[in-house]
Amino acid sequence: MQSRSCHRGSTGALLAVVRIGVGLLWLQNVGWKTPPNFGRGDPPDGLYLSASYAVSDPVLPPFAWLMERFVLPNFTFFGWMVLLVEAALGAFLVIGLATRFWALIGIAQTVVIALSVLNAPHEWYWSYLLMLLVHVALFATAAGRYGGLDGLLRPEWELSRSWAARWLVRVS
Amino acid sequence: MNWYRQLDRAAIVLGLVSIMSAAFVFVHGTFQLVQIGTVGLVVALVLGLLAIAAGWLAERTLLIAAGVGFLLAATVQLVLLAGGGSGFLGGNASTFSLWLGLGAGLIAIGLVPRPEAIEEASQA
Repeated sequence: MQSRSCHRGSTGALLAVVRIGVGLLWLQNVGWKTPPNFGRGDPPDGLYLSASYAVSDPVLPPFAWLMERFVLPNFTFFGWMVLLVEAALGAFLVIGLATRFWALIGIAQTVVIALSVLNAPHEWYWSYLLMLLVHVALFATAAGRYGGLDGLLRPEWELSRSWAARWLVRVS
Repeated sequence: MNWYRQLDRAAIVLGLVSIMSAAFVFVHGTFQLVQIGTVGLVVALVLGLLAIAAGWLAERTLLIAAGVGFLLAATVQLVLLAGGGSGFLGGNASTFSLWLGLGAGLIAIGLVPRPEAIEEASQA
């Protein structure tokens, strides 16, 4: 019995390490998304250059079409969206708040990144697959319940009748 | 351990994270997780100490004040970034992300009603 609870404790601690590590990945990498032009210029760099690989080295033709017609011409708006989503991913995965929700957002964002740069020069496609799988693991294990605020605050949310608390119970 | 004490301990941990982030003022290159400038260093230390004091004293109002402080600092950093630079805070989007997380976390902890607050509400 004691060894089983020790095992649960160490497994929980390792899940917390994984969640915080993935959060730091987003937190650090949002740093090179630089407004207001996000690298749009001559020559392009930063986020704009990464996004433009979706057109120059297409992975999925419909996605390349979408990027060419809608995203790249309106890049200031989409640059801000990327910055806000990735900053929130870093923020909430590190503290473990609404972790399952943010794990799903992380999966979606990883798919978008992969569809943009998978065929770009010098890319290792397994890195994006690993990113995807680690977010699936965070979702499947509800990783915020281990060393995160989800685990601490869930009892309070479960007692509350507010819509916000009910939503947080579902996404934690 | 008392559940409310665990909440206070979580607030102390968030405060410590802020204080530890101040070390990034000396770190550059690959392992620089966040960019902290001189004014950002003061923000990280002052608000981090406030969060620690709030957790230590189990003071809900201070917890929320520290959380709101971090969210305000995050918002100012974002506005400065929109202007095309780090501005007087000296941070980047990573700094915004860190302060957003610390602010949201402290406010989430601070919003939990404490026994004395519940008692006062029931008496009123």
